[in-house]
Amino acid sequence: MTLPIDILIVEDEPILAGVHAEIIGQIPAFKAVAIASSLQEAKQLIPKLKPQLILLDNYLPDGKGIDLFQNIITLNLGCHVIFITAASDMQTCSDAIRLGAFDYIIKPISYERLKYSLSKFESFIKTQKNTTYLSQQKIDELFNLQRKDFRDKNKTKGIEEITLQSVQNLFITNPKKLYSAETVAIELGMSKTTVRRYLEYCIKIKFLTIQVSYGNVGRPERFYIKE
Amino acid sequence: MMLKSLKKRLNSFATKLFISLIIFFIIIALLLVSYFSKRFEELLYQQIGKYALVQAKEIAIIPNLISAVEQRDTKGINQFVSRLYANSDASFIVIGDSKGNHLFHTGNIQLYSPMMGGDNDAVLRGESIISIRKGTLGVSLRGKTPIINKNGEVVGIVSVGYLQHDIHLIYSEEFTPIIIIFICLTISVFAFSWFFSRRIKSQMLGLEPKEICRLAIQQEAILESIFEGVIAIDINYRITAINYAARSILGIKQSASMLTGVDLSSIIQTTNFLDTDSKTTDCKDEICQFNNIAVIASRTRIIINNQLQGWVISFRDKNDINSLNLQLSQVKNFADNLRVMRHESLNWMAMLAGLLHMKEYDKAISILEAKSLGSQRILDFISSRFQNHAVCGLLLGKYSRANELGLQLELDPACQLKEIPATLTEVMLISIMGNLLDNAFDAIMNLKEPQLISEHNRIELYISDETNELVIEVADQGVGIDPTIRDHLFERGITSKASDDHGIGLYLVSSYVQQAGGLITISDGDEGGAIFSIFIPK
Repeated sequence: MTLPIDILIVEDEPILAGVHAEIIGQIPAFKAVAIASSLQEAKQLIPKLKPQLILLDNYLPDGKGIDLFQNIITLNLGCHVIFITAASDMQTCSDAIRLGAFDYIIKPISYERLKYSLSKFESFIKTQKNTTYLSQQKIDELFNLQRKDFRDKNKTKGIEEITLQSVQNLFITNPKKLYSAETVAIELGMSKTTVRRYLEYCIKIKFLTIQVSYGNVGRPERFYIKE
Repeated sequence: MMLKSLKKRLNSFATKLFISLIIFFIIIALLLVSYFSKRFEELLYQQIGKYALVQAKEIAIIPNLISAVEQRDTKGINQFVSRLYANSDASFIVIGDSKGNHLFHTGNIQLYSPMMGGDNDAVLRGESIISIRKGTLGVSLRGKTPIINKNGEVVGIVSVGYLQHDIHLIYSEEFTPIIIIFICLTISVFAFSWFFSRRIKSQMLGLEPKEICRLAIQQEAILESIFEGVIAIDINYRITAINYAARSILGIKQSASMLTGVDLSSIIQTTNFLDTDSKTTDCKDEICQFNNIAVIASRTRIIINNQLQGWVISFRDKNDINSLNLQLSQVKNFADNLRVMRHESLNWMAMLAGLLHMKEYDKAISILEAKSLGSQRILDFISSRFQNHAVCGLLLGKYSRANELGLQLELDPACQLKEIPATLTEVMLISIMGNLLDNAFDAIMNLKEPQLISEHNRIELYISDETNELVIEVADQGVGIDPTIRDHLFERGITSKASDDHGIGLYLVSSYVQQAGGLITISDGDEGGAIFSIFIPK
């Protein structure tokens, strides 16, 4: 793999394509090699130019970008795709997720987001290039780069230390007592939905265990207990 | 009109059957009667003839008579034969001489006149005969025998005769009862045919054979053309009909005719679908297992004249229905999305045009970026937290749907799904989540006041498989659960909604959760509404 990374822009709106090209031009590691304004054109250009990355718009005059994406995969052309789609076309987005797009960007494009995505791709390529033999750690790293959890720095998602403490305190002061999510919420004055998150977290860290009891009308109840 | 209905009646199968039975019987009876009357007449003549001859022979060997004939003692003969005649039922007795002339006649014929009939030659040669001839008194049957003296010479003739007229009297006397019996038989056959044809008609539900034939063919065509599997069984659980769909769902290779009469249990292994209740009640759309295939089956009793004759079982593959549901909801999603997109883009174009016109470039840029930011954030969140594309698709779709309804679908920050538990399929999970979310949307939309909806428009979704369970929790701030149906919430057909097609969602959810060995709990939301929590072991 050599730098700069070749990018093919697939976008039927010339002004928009021009802007994309300009943004790419600002980053030294990338080079926009061509602009395709239709599926047909893109299909001809991809095997010829062999770009490493394609900025793929979903709505094209002669079809959908998602179909080209499928085409690239079936032909095993070995290029990555950043998929661009309109805000409300979430369904296509989910297809792109399935097909393994490197990233997906919602129109109207935030160019900050596009730059972020490109820099992520750059480090992905660099890691790939510099890794002569892949240790498990490297594989995980690579996987994580592709696995778009770049926002997910916080390992304890939605868990705040203080709130967790107060939940745990309740159980520590009343060991062996059965609490339903509802009673915990009432005792601590928290919302029931938040309580569930904390209780399940406590299960995860093995602070609490679960007991299920079947009430008199056959409606089951689920209790949390500190043993 | 009358004529037409009469013609129709005459044309009906029962009438035709009745008429042909009668005609057939009458023809047979006429043939029999004519044969027997002929035979009877023959026998009668034969017997009477023999009888006449025997009498004649017995008379001819009386020695007194022989000598009287030899001596031509007409007076003696008269006296002697008159006495015999008085004790006999013969019409006449005639004694003739060796030349065939009358020596005696019970009918007071002139003596020595020639005997009539011309049948005397053989008798005068010494033979006995029976003959039918026209004699002095009319046509008669007679037995004639020669009178032979001690020297073996024919000296005269004895003729004992029965007039045809007398024979006819005997015949009609003997034959009348037969005619009467025949008439009685005809009447009883008439009555029998009448009731028989009526009964046939009632057994055929008043239908003509042509109609029955058409119905049978039509029924077969209908059976084969429907996509639902149909099996009819009799009271002993033996198959009477099975259609193509049933065989293909159950993966049976044999043809329908090979399966007819076969015991149901030999092709379907099912747990208590045909239980004791099946004799008294029908059931509809029950989820059960046929040969380890999950089906939605219905059972209808066949009752004729208040007697249970068997059942009709119809069923569909449950997964077919699920996938159909899924497809339908996807089509709906597309349509929804299109509406949303069009509406949104029109507004945005107008706003951007306005901003650009006022040279507010920075504002235009920031609004533009903010616009995609929300979607980008939710997209990034969903795609990073849920590793299943179908779940991602569903959540993205529901997210747009909620936006369009003016609702807010909030995903709990702790949401994550790495793997679907082995006890669930993707379709089941999608169905559970989709139904819970749709119910939550509906619960809010069912709030009466529009401003209430905008105040209580949040739906919170928490999905996590962090622990050894998959937890799905959906909380809404909608109308909540009617306490009267709370205990029956997961039964089929229970709904708080007015229209008929509801009441399946939660039933499906609960049956899937049960199948996976999971648990559902319901509690009231913090600000009204309901919280559905589902726990499925991994």
